Amino acid sequence: MSYNTDSDQDFIAQAMPAFISEAAEQIEAIETLLLELEEQPDNRELLDSLFRCAHTVKGSAGIFGLHRVVEFTHHVETLLDKMRDGDIALNPEISTLLLQCNDQIKFLVDTAADEEADTPEQKDTRADLVVQLRALTESTSVSTPGVALAGAASGAPVAVGLRVWSISARFGMETFRNGMDPLSIARYLSGMGRVVFVRSGADTVPALVNLNPESCYLSFTMELETAATREDIEGAFSFVLDDCQFDVEAPETAEQKMARAIEEMPETPRLGDMLVSVGAVSQDKLDQVLSTQRQTRGMPAVSKPMLGDLLEAQAGVAPEVVAAAVAKQQKLRENAPSEERYIRVQADRLDAVINLLGELVIAGAGATLLARETHHESLIEANLQMNGLIEEIRNGTLGLRMVPVGETFSRFRRVVRDTASSLGKEVNFEIVGGEAELDKSMVEKIADPLMHLVRNSLDHGLETPQERVAAGKSRAGHLTLSARHETGAILIRIDDDGRGINRERVLQRAWNRGLVEQGVVPSDNDINMLIFEPGFSTAEQVTNLSGRGVGMDVVRRNIEALRGSIRLNSVPGVGLQVDIRLPLTLAIIDGFLIGVGQSKFVLPLESVVEVIEAAHQHVKVDDCGRHVLELRGQILPVVRLRTLYTIESTLPDRVSVVVVNSSRGKFGIEVEVLMGQHQTVIKPLGRLFKALRGISGSSILGSGEVALILDVGSLGDLVTLDGIAASATVQASQSPQTA
Amino acid sequence: MSERFELPSELNIYSVLETRDTLLAWVTAQASEGHDYLEVSARDVGEVDGSGLQLVASLSNMDTPWRLVETSDAFAEACRLMGFAHWLDKRYLKTGAGEGAL
Repeated sequence: MSYNTDSDQDFIAQAMPAFISEAAEQIEAIETLLLELEEQPDNRELLDSLFRCAHTVKGSAGIFGLHRVVEFTHHVETLLDKMRDGDIALNPEISTLLLQCNDQIKFLVDTAADEEADTPEQKDTRADLVVQLRALTESTSVSTPGVALAGAASGAPVAVGLRVWSISARFGMETFRNGMDPLSIARYLSGMGRVVFVRSGADTVPALVNLNPESCYLSFTMELETAATREDIEGAFSFVLDDCQFDVEAPETAEQKMARAIEEMPETPRLGDMLVSVGAVSQDKLDQVLSTQRQTRGMPAVSKPMLGDLLEAQAGVAPEVVAAAVAKQQKLRENAPSEERYIRVQADRLDAVINLLGELVIAGAGATLLARETHHESLIEANLQMNGLIEEIRNGTLGLRMVPVGETFSRFRRVVRDTASSLGKEVNFEIVGGEAELDKSMVEKIADPLMHLVRNSLDHGLETPQERVAAGKSRAGHLTLSARHETGAILIRIDDDGRGINRERVLQRAWNRGLVEQGVVPSDNDINMLIFEPGFSTAEQVTNLSGRGVGMDVVRRNIEALRGSIRLNSVPGVGLQVDIRLPLTLAIIDGFLIGVGQSKFVLPLESVVEVIEAAHQHVKVDDCGRHVLELRGQILPVVRLRTLYTIESTLPDRVSVVVVNSSRGKFGIEVEVLMGQHQTVIKPLGRLFKALRGISGSSILGSGEVALILDVGSLGDLVTLDGIAASATVQASQSPQTA
Repeated sequence: MSERFELPSELNIYSVLETRDTLLAWVTAQASEGHDYLEVSARDVGEVDGSGLQLVASLSNMDTPWRLVETSDAFAEACRLMGFAHWLDKRYLKTGAGEGAL
């Protein structure tokens, strides 16, 4: 085999990044599942998924020869397995331990290629974790058969001791040739306890005429009563692992068996039928109960007894069985496939397609333009049809980049848990609407600002349990992170029931720092928004979590860079609501096309408030092309693009001023031609133009011309910078919005 | 041709190819003579493994039914371990080795 070692190495090196990204996902999932499991410790499915994730990490790490990962994860897996068997129940200590272990796994995977990163400290941490894990798993494996049997006889759940395991094994064709013998495995198993039942499947063995006697076709199922653990039993197969499918099933109670039978039903229309078919209730009894239920017809739905409850009460069906049947029904109703299918696609490939698509949109517009010029009707029609299709493809392809925000949200569970405990606060963290979708790149970019806001709410918003009780609130604070779609945008809301923003203190600080002129009292909302001003921090004691005074303005800037907006709704003493609105995608926007001289510009349509006409040339402008206008008695700063970007053209007599809304307040942009709404494919600017202020990107028009996309935010900064700006902004932002 | 097939003393992977050929030849001959069922004896079997049991199991998927008429302790034990205890049918077994099989 040595001759292909090199190619094996190559393959492993190539596949490694995929492994690491996949493992990172699994590790993230483990964390999420653990935190969910903390809330619903009895949820078997969560536990199973948790085990699967750990097992997957271990398995694939094994393929890549990452022994440290395999070794360590094995201990975690053992503990999880014990939990699955019901030997160990999850408690906060175990949960914390498992979270720490998960961090360690993450570390090991991240540093898979780097032996040196595994410092002695890390090794100590790991050894310590292993000791804790082993202490947990080994204390439960001491079996006392007598006690256990007594437990089993009385019907109580059996924690340790003798149990009947179902084992099924199907051996691979090469088993004999590899020198293995199913008979010795069966013999070994029977040595572990008492074989209640064993049967070989002769059906899989071909008839003598067709038999290749050196290939193995054997399979068997066995019920083994033993005190041995699952690992011991699986150990019997350790030499045939590669070439054998086997399954070791934990013992089940009669109720569990029924519940599983229901779960495994392919299609299950009605609750009653389900229960009859698994033998939980007889048909007669069911009919009887159904007729009882029929008598309640006409009663309001709320007070109407549920069939499940009736079956429990009158037919003595175990609640467990009813619950399983109801859950199955629920699943069917939701019509959710049990396993979603994904194709993993490299992000840059998808981006390349989207880029091409942008080109296609532009080329399509160009073709339509040319077709119109020919006045050839069928050509125009063909073009229209093609454009319709292009639009559909565009929407579909952009949809491919959409991912549920929930993934990002669930990462916060851990942050909330750890932050709250380090602050000595109690908090119930809730995630609502995690399935709302957002562009993938957006999701990545929003994670940090959101994290900061969540921490801020925990740190500054929520009170300590003592303070809360004193204020007549529940001990534990509530923090809700929710997402939902609004027309063309997504609304992400962080909602806490803490103390809200202390406006007096914010205003006092703003006065002290010169953010607001002494004595001027802006509106409540404007005071709230002051917390997003650079260099603002109200925390009396700057903690290491938030409140370094650098965070909040960066948060706002990041959100605005995504063309999003942020709004606060604070009720002192009751709580704070932070609303973040984000466009669904970064690639295409609704634009408003304007012209200055020969140049074309695109404004994001949503920022446009109104367009006014203005007499032009008599106004004085400064070097940056700034001047002011009077609009309904208010001063409106205006920027003249012609001067700002030194565009040469003959001056028209009259110009239009597009009034736009920015975070700095309203301002005007003086333009010469208005061309109306335009679907704009955003292209990034080349490096050369990165320094250009007020421009965020470019777009190619149907005619092949390039239009620059104006960045209203930074243009606003430019317009309202010092001089005319400072006083104008305050006034402008105080004026009622005419939009 | 004898009425019954004697399985060899070594019924394992080392001899299974050979045993298969002789067994198949015997089965074919039996069928041509029009026997209703095949009688197989494991009286001499001292060593048996999974492949040996599999060979015998493959008889079950032939047209003519077969029965085990005599067995050694080693073979009977292997049958019980591997889940072929139903072969040890006292109605057909001549010797006591299969007693208490089920």
